Order: sequence, then structure tokens, then C-alpha cells
Amino acid sequence: MKVGLTERLDSFVRKHDDRQLAALPLVLFVISLIILAITFASSGSPVKLGMDFEGGTMVSMASQESVTAIQQKYADYPITDVRQAGSRIIMQFGPMSDELQQELTTDVINSYDNVEINQVGPVYGASLQKQAVKAVIVSFIGMAIVVFLIFRTFVPSVAVVLSALSDIIIAAAFMNIVGIELSLGTVAALLMLIGYSVDSDILLTTRVLKRRGTPQENISNAMHTGVTMTTTTLAALVAMYVISTFSYVLSPSFSQITLLSNISIVLIFGLVADMMNTWMLNTSILRWHVTSVGTRRRKA
Amino acid sequence: MRDDEKQQSLLKDVRVIVFILAILGSIIFIHPWYTSDEGFTTNLNYGLDLEGGSWLQLKLQGAVAQLDADSGLLVKEIVNINLAEDITIASTDEGEDEVTVTFTSASVLTNNQMDQLGVGQTTISRSNNVTQVVLHSTKETLISTYLGDTLKTEVIPTLISDGVEYEIRTAITQEELEALMEKVGGSIVTDINGNPVYKEGVTTETRDLTKEILSDKLNSLGLKDIPVKTVGDDYILIDFAGVDLATAKNIAEKPGKFEIRIITQGNESKHVLYGDEIESVSIVGYQEDSGSWYVPFTLTDEGAQALQEIAIETGATQDPMSHNLVMYLDENEVYSAPLSYSAAAKLEQAPIYSWQASTGADEDSKTRAEELQIHLRAGALPVNVELMGSGHVDAALGQQFKTQAVIAGMIALLAVAFVVFRKYNKPAILIPMVSTSISEVIMILGFAAAIGWQLDLASIAGIIAAIGTGIDHLVIITDEVLYEGKLPPRKVYLSRITKAFGIIFAASATTIIAMSPLVIMGFGSLKGFAITTIVGVLIGILIARPVYGKVIHEVLAAGSEAEAE
Repeated sequence: MKVGLTERLDSFVRKHDDRQLAALPLVLFVISLIILAITFASSGSPVKLGMDFEGGTMVSMASQESVTAIQQKYADYPITDVRQAGSRIIMQFGPMSDELQQELTTDVINSYDNVEINQVGPVYGASLQKQAVKAVIVSFIGMAIVVFLIFRTFVPSVAVVLSALSDIIIAAAFMNIVGIELSLGTVAALLMLIGYSVDSDILLTTRVLKRRGTPQENISNAMHTGVTMTTTTLAALVAMYVISTFSYVLSPSFSQITLLSNISIVLIFGLVADMMNTWMLNTSILRWHVTSVGTRRRKA
Repeated sequence: MRDDEKQQSLLKDVRVIVFILAILGSIIFIHPWYTSDEGFTTNLNYGLDLEGGSWLQLKLQGAVAQLDADSGLLVKEIVNINLAEDITIASTDEGEDEVTVTFTSASVLTNNQMDQLGVGQTTISRSNNVTQVVLHSTKETLISTYLGDTLKTEVIPTLISDGVEYEIRTAITQEELEALMEKVGGSIVTDINGNPVYKEGVTTETRDLTKEILSDKLNSLGLKDIPVKTVGDDYILIDFAGVDLATAKNIAEKPGKFEIRIITQGNESKHVLYGDEIESVSIVGYQEDSGSWYVPFTLTDEGAQALQEIAIETGATQDPMSHNLVMYLDENEVYSAPLSYSAAAKLEQAPIYSWQASTGADEDSKTRAEELQIHLRAGALPVNVELMGSGHVDAALGQQFKTQAVIAGMIALLAVAFVVFRKYNKPAILIPMVSTSISEVIMILGFAAAIGWQLDLASIAGIIAAIGTGIDHLVIITDEVLYEGKLPPRKVYLSRITKAFGIIFAASATTIIAMSPLVIMGFGSLKGFAITTIVGVLIGILIARPVYGKVIHEVLAAGSEAEAE
């Protein structure tokens, strides 16, 4: 089945010209940009900010009580969300005073087992937010510089950087659609995506530029390796996602590990987007570049 | 025979030797062990989210600025705030080091009242129903007293290369400070570029002092292994392993009980005052003439009066040597010394507001004075702290996260092995590939154990991510070596493996660059993720993957020979 995917992708790439090939990724890229713009217009930031950046308190504990019962029990606190995951309840609170915070902490610790609490002050959250934006920008620019240093040709480098950018934008838009908030975990995932994304792009570009043979042969070759790479990574991430998110189905005593769950789902989506961007967007730009350089050389 | 040769050539390779040493070293550092009473143990350190406990992140509130103001107006405000008296400034004389302010008032002002201001020496004269006061002080004292009295906080002036820097130990914005200085005809001093010299936060010394007080307090409670770390200039992070969040907050925020008593007879003593009667504690000083280190502190009105009353009552003013003043923090004696003769004599007449606790002349005494300074604050922190973030994980939950993380890692590895097997369909490739991946994990863990770094959930995520990139690179190597499904001749093989490593190095460089902002910017929980990823990538490209390239060639060569035969 997996081999089937590579073959199908290969024949798809062979059958379509560069413009057709780039169309779908570019359309998705633009749609994603629009989604981010709409979110930005409505909330003031392109992705919904989670507790890590907005400030607030997350409490998770073992409890068989119903969501409504919990909601009533903690109605005196600025409770914003209650969810149930297996045998655990996860509550979210907005920012509150120190005294209230202390009261809540003491109450939860004394009345429940297996408690996990995370609290972020709004001021600290705001400063983290600035740092996170800086981290993503610095990472991206750093990556772009390295890519340019490696290939030293303009068009192929731009193709790699564009495809990585598109991966991040699509992953971020996906977060907005399914309602994943930006947390420290998802920022790390977006940065990691930069690393993963360029792996297959570098493989493709190196093979096409530096190997003898027709561009199309080299692309097919690179695709066999590249798709294997991405699927193995996806396999590891899907395992991490399932274990960290749904392990309570296997054993009710297990609980969700939010950090791992968030990192893996964003990476999974980014990598699926990366398959498309590498083998359609990047491939088409590269193929066009190689053939047009080839014709120009022949003319001269 | 042929097999022996191959074994030898592999073992002679420097990279293989390094690899084997790295693995052995890692296992020694991790030190996995099993005993029947303790079960399975290792040398690995776990973060709070895997071990259970709580953490607090505190921000130190304050501001540091250079300030200037009019001495006369400063004195007028200080007298007004403390004594509610309106005075008229007759003259001010601002000298190099000293300022002299002469002022008059219709009310009677006493020496005692002037002492209470604590700004300097005064000479008082009264004639024609007018009190005239000549005050000798310094600009720094006046500015710090004015701000301190207005804001009810400590203000510490420090001499720096280009003037005097005032540390205000409470949260104050630049605008608020500007407004306060305008009231006394002053402003925030501007630098050569015309920017006001103002910065939110505290000085490094204050940050370190706060850190020390917290460590001291945790130690005195028997919590010796609680690390107090400073993050940047203004943040302090405390990890309380095995302590719940409510308790942790209590410990960090509640000051200790400070008490001063006077010895009445033998071991008997009488209560004088508690820590809340201490108005402020200044920094440790050295007295040139008596040659000793001391801690200055001031008492409130009630405190000063109580001390005078009891000193007279117990006879300490008459015979100071047999009536030591003893200080206790949380019932432990932290200081004991008699009153000085001059202080004793003065106490007969009036209460004393400004005190100095002397400790002696040597270096040891300096340390004692610094400790006493901390104790006098009753373990209360020198600056206000704001809770910026906190967290708590039950020990049982942490244990469970640990188990789950290990399961996630194992299943991730199995999933990867499954995909690899479907693609290549050869155990000869699968086994070296999976073993290389496992060896990379062992080396990451070995490195973690060697430098004693704490593994938290984020680091585990980093390790799983490293398995992902690791396998990616092994696939690149395998596909290059297995050109068109078979092993190419040696020369072609060498150029291909070089190319494969070109791609791998390039990809690794971008991953490291992309992750490094997380390490430098120091987001608490994600530092671990970034560090593991980077270490994983480095271990992979420098140690494990070159060996895989070698091994896979040997294995495939052996395989094809076997086929040929």
C-alpha cells in the first residue's frame, strides 16, 4: 500500500506539467494564509493563544464526577473550560488573584488524586509570547541562510524555503481549524517542522542538481527515499500521538500527556503538508528551473 | 576465514571503536541496575513532571534609575511625610559630598523627632516661637529616604562609575517615578543620548541576595536539595521535588518569626519586639573607627519605645554587659551582644530608632553580618516578588507519565521498524537500522546521565523526535548504498556514501539552527526538547550514522556474496 503511494505520486508528478503540479499546494497555501488572516482579524493573533501565552491555570486530576458537577463546584473561580479524558477531568481557568489561586490549589490537592497543575501569570505569558515569535522568526531565517549556503543557487533555495514556509503556514491553519491552541509544545513542533521539512527538500534538491541523469529520473529516485523517510517519521509520531492522547482507552489508570499530544499532532499535520509541498510545489519549481537552465545553456 | 577478515576490518575502524566506546560509556553512566528491594534503578535524573513535585517561578519587582532632585524640597517632603509638619526652607547648600539644609518651623521640633527621620545630623535652636533646624545630610540619603518613605519600600543608593544608581525595591513605572521626582523639583537623569536612565527590575546583587535568602530558608526547613535558580536578571525558579504546590507557596512567601529579647538574669530573658517592629534593614557596612562590620536597621515608633522601656526596666541601660540583646529567628538564636555604652546612655534619655548590630572585625564577621542582615528581614525577601508561574505534578502521576513515555518510545520504535521492514523487506537492513536507532537513544540518555541533566516530558518528546530524524537519515544512507536495488562497486559506493552524508549534514545543520533559538531564549520547559533534539542530531551524525554506513555495506556485501555462491 505504501509502495503504491510512492508509485501513484510518481506517475502523478510525471503526468502533470509544472504549473498544474504547483497549483494545489499554492491554493492550499493561500487558503491557509486566509484562515490565519481571519483569525488574526478576529482575535488579534494568527493562531489562538493557549494558556502558556495568555496566562491562566490548568488543572487535571483523577475524578469520576461529571463535567457539569465540576463546573458547578468551581463556579466561584474564573473557570473557562472543563473536559473529560478517560478517568480524568481537565479544567482551565482564566487569570486570578494570588489568594484565589492558593485556595484553588489547596482545594484540588486535598480533594483529588493524581493532580497536575500548571499556572502561568499573564505578564509572563505576554513575555513568552514575544520570545516565541522571535524564536520562530530567528529559526526560519537561520534555516533559510543555511539552505542558501548549501545550494548557492537562488531558485532551488527559494523553493526549499517556500516549501518549509508553506508547511508551517498550513500546520498553523490546521491548528485553527481543529482548535489546537498555541502552547509551548506547539511552538516547539512548528520549529521542529522546519527541521523535518527541509530533510526531504534537501534530499530532492541535491539529487536533482548534483546527480547525472534526467531530472525526472532523479525526482523519482528521490521520491522513493523521501516518501519512506516521511512515512517512518509519521509512524513514530502517530505512535507518540496515540499513546499520549488515547492511552486511557487501553488502561483507565493512564492519563493524557498534553505536551506530547500537542507536539505530535501538529508535527503529523505539518509532515502530511510537507509530503505535498515537497513532491508537488518544490518538485515543480525545481523541474522548471533545471529544464529552463538547460535550454538556456543549449541556446548559448 | 573471510568472516574473520571482515570482523577485523570493522573493529579496526576508528569510527566503530568510538561508537563502541560511546555505547559502553553511556551504559556505565546510565548504570541500569536491578535489586529486589528497589526494583529497576538508573542514574538518570528526572524532571519534576516525571518525578512529582512542584515549581514556582517568581519575578522580582523593582526599578533601577539615576535620579536628581532639589535638596530643600526633599527635606520639606520628608518632614511632611514623617512628622506631618509644614516647614519653610531657609537655605540649602549643596556641597560636593554633603548638603546642608536650614529650615524653620512654627512648631517645636525635638532632636528625637529629627533622629527618627534618619537622614543625618541636626542642630536645633528655638527663638521667637520659631524653631530653626540645620541638617547635614547627603543627596543620596535624602533621595532614598524620600522615595522610601513615599513608597513604603527600601531604596538603596549605589555609587557607580557615572553617578549614583537608586534601586527601588517595589514595582514602579517610569511615569510614576517621574511624577514623584517632579514633586521635589527633580527628574530621572538622562544619559548622553537623552534617554532616561531607568530600568525595570533589580540589581544583580539584590537578585542574588533574594536567591540566597530563599535557599537559606529552604535549608533551615530541612529541604536541602531544593535548587533555587536565577533566570535572567529578574526571575527566580524554584523546583520543589516531592513538595506540593500549596506547601511550596507557603514556604516561599511566608516570612519567619523574628524576635528580639533582653537577658534579664542568667538564662532568663524578656520579650522586647517582633520582626514587624523592624522598619527597614540596610546593607552591611564597615565602621572605620571601631573597625567592625555591622548591619544597620531601623525600628518603628512602637519598636523603639518598647526597646527603651524594657532596657530601662531590666537595667540594661545601667549595666549593659550583663544584659545581652538576643535575636531569634524561628526560635533559633542568630545574634547576641550587649548594648554599646553610648547607646545605653542615650536610651536613658530617649528611644533610638536607628540601630547597628556589630559582628566584629574579621572576614568571618563580614559573613556573619551578611547572614544577620538576612535574618533581620526574618527571611522576608528584600524585594516584592510576583508569582509568574507555578506547576504541580503528583508523584504517582509523574511515575505514570514516565511509564507512558517509555511505552510511547517503544511503540514509536516498533512502528518505525514496521514501515522500514515493509519498504526493504530484508532483516539484514532492518536489524542494523533499528539497532542504530536504539544506540542513538542509549547515547542520548548516557549523555544526559553524564552531565546530570534532568529528563522531563519535553526531553522525552525530543528523544522520540530524534528517533524520527535518525531513521530518516539511515533511510538516505541505505538508499544511496543500495543503488538500484543492489550494492554498487566499491568506488561508486564511496562517492555515494559521501553524497548521502552531504545531505545528512545539511539537513542536520538546518535542524540544529532551527532548534537553537529555543536553547538560547530559555523557555523553561522547551529547553529540554531543543537540547535533546540537538544532542540527538549531533550524536547521530558524529557517532552512530557513519558506523551504520559501514555496517550496512558489510552486511549487504556478505549477503550478495552468499547469493552469488
